[in-house]
Amino acid sequence: MLLLEHDAKTLLARSGIAVPPGVLIESADALATAELPPGPWVVKAQVPVGGRGKAGAIRLVNDQAGLARAITEIGAMRVKGHVVRGCRVESQASGQEAFLSFAIDATAGAVRMLFSPEGGVDIESAAPGSLLSLAVPLDLAAMRAALPRLVEGAPAHLAAAVLQAGTQLAELFIRYEALLLEINPLFVAADGNWMAGDARMAIDESALPRQSELLALISAREAAYADGLFKYREGFDYIALDPDGEIGLITTGAGLSMKIIDDLSAAGEKPFNFVDIRSGQFRGDPARLITVLRAIAQGPKVRVVLVNIFAGITHLGEFARLLATALSAVPEMRAPVVARLVGNGLDDARATLAQITPSIELEVDLDKALAKVLQLARQAPEPARA
Amino acid sequence: MLEALLRDNVPVLVQGISGRAGRQHALQMQAAGTNIVGGIASPGARNTEGPPGIPVFADCAAAVAATGARASVALVPPLQALDAATEALEAGIELLVSVTEGMPVHDAIKARTLARARGATWIGPSTPGLAVPGRIKMGFLPEVALRPGQIGVMSKSGTLSYETCYRLVQQGMGQSLWVGVGGDPVKGTRFADLLPLFARHAGTRALLLIGEIGGTEEEEFAAAVTALPFDKPVHAVLAGASAREGVTMGHAGALIQGGLGTHASKSTALAAAGVQVHSSINELVSAMRRSLA
Repeated sequence: MLLLEHDAKTLLARSGIAVPPGVLIESADALATAELPPGPWVVKAQVPVGGRGKAGAIRLVNDQAGLARAITEIGAMRVKGHVVRGCRVESQASGQEAFLSFAIDATAGAVRMLFSPEGGVDIESAAPGSLLSLAVPLDLAAMRAALPRLVEGAPAHLAAAVLQAGTQLAELFIRYEALLLEINPLFVAADGNWMAGDARMAIDESALPRQSELLALISAREAAYADGLFKYREGFDYIALDPDGEIGLITTGAGLSMKIIDDLSAAGEKPFNFVDIRSGQFRGDPARLITVLRAIAQGPKVRVVLVNIFAGITHLGEFARLLATALSAVPEMRAPVVARLVGNGLDDARATLAQITPSIELEVDLDKALAKVLQLARQAPEPARA
Repeated sequence: MLEALLRDNVPVLVQGISGRAGRQHALQMQAAGTNIVGGIASPGARNTEGPPGIPVFADCAAAVAATGARASVALVPPLQALDAATEALEAGIELLVSVTEGMPVHDAIKARTLARARGATWIGPSTPGLAVPGRIKMGFLPEVALRPGQIGVMSKSGTLSYETCYRLVQQGMGQSLWVGVGGDPVKGTRFADLLPLFARHAGTRALLLIGEIGGTEEEEFAAAVTALPFDKPVHAVLAGASAREGVTMGHAGALIQGGLGTHASKSTALAAAGVQVHSSINELVSAMRRSLA
């Protein structure tokens, strides 16, 4: 999970790492009462993806009028599909722009440490040889020991700044179990003073149960980290894909759920959600089904719901009873349901559904189920709303 | 060590055998032919007994000393996965399967480093496990999708591999060795690591790779296929064509970041290496039938 720059900088500042003074502004109205840092300013969209500069979601402004305009305009943008929920307004900083990054290198099973004396927006197109790279064991002492090799050949003031910044950032990387900590630009002054101009920090959702500070940080910003917080609290994955989506999904398994979304999208349809509901973890409780059905029922354009369960462990008869219970607990869910079930207890499931909820169409073949879903999505009238 | 599974009756431990899942899966693995020689109780569990007939030991070292176990399946909670892996590897276990979902990444790096230092093979985490159908199963790949055969299977996803193999099995095509490498970014064994074994194994006539967005594993596999003289047909299905950058699609590793890990990148790299990338499972089943004809 990529932290918003503002939150990453909050963590950096708490650890005594210099960042330009800044505030998070979530609307143009909030600007009037905000305690702004000294201008001129840079206004930066807070979204969990890179490439904001190229997308025009970072602007330099000199006066209050420009500030209000930038916040309004950037606030109306989407960056790589992500809604901008706020902007960080901070004092413009300057200096030589270097690049310093620590990242988990899954291939090497190590920390990849990168440094370039020339940072900036276009680090991907940095001159060959100007980006220094080392794979180092995931260990604070090893990371610190590698820093002198990383800055070998750099001018003295730059090397000194990066050694100091790198030492502090390595400690942060280990303490918070980061997956990525990238400072681009790292502003370095002629006297060796430095400041983190930007901060891209990815944290490990799996480590949240033992990272209470990170958990508190993201819990304070529900909307920005909705998917990750949902998984932490509920124990399964649910992602709202398209508020105008027409097909609701109750599926198990990340890979197969993703493939079903691909197939529906390729057929020109709009899935409403992604879910890996993990039917093997229900243990007789319909709560997860009810949670997901309620979420799907919120979709104003949902015309059909596909249930796909490939049961390795789950007994389908029990699943069918839980599904029937959940559907009766969510009466606002009125779209037709197509259920594709494979595995143990199929006959029991068939009998159960026929008896309790005969409106559910049961299919054993996934392609046939998808065809039925497409047919219903294209033919069904808009569901009536209370 | 994976090679031994194809010919030997490898003795296997189950770590976390006293838990609900541990008891259930130990019996199912046994029913699938696995030589389960013992178990270790779930850490901190009230119940310390395994299913009838399977001895439970204080730790892996005691279990290995008493039974000669060479492999282990760990069914333990995420924050205990590193301890379980360390205990197994330090006891001399040569093949470890960690099914745990949600193991912290820094822990996975430590487990991977230790496995390599000891020369052991680590599969997982976040995997349904592996199987040589009819001979051994470590984990919980569903029986309905298993059948002895000639396809070498490797997958990041559980369910997409179940669905694909189930359809292949319905058409009479089974597996020589099926390895779920898992959906996490940092893992013990990656697609490319399995290639030399599948290249050597005469009983494997074609490969099935089930990949998804995120990371560079499919691209590494493509490079490895190109580097080796590998002449068996390889078929692939990739999930996540419609995924957006910056959204984690269920698996911790299924994340496009900074333009890396896209479906297009993987598909292009694999196709350039001669892998047949299929957009639908049915298309793959037909192509696999032609490969095995």
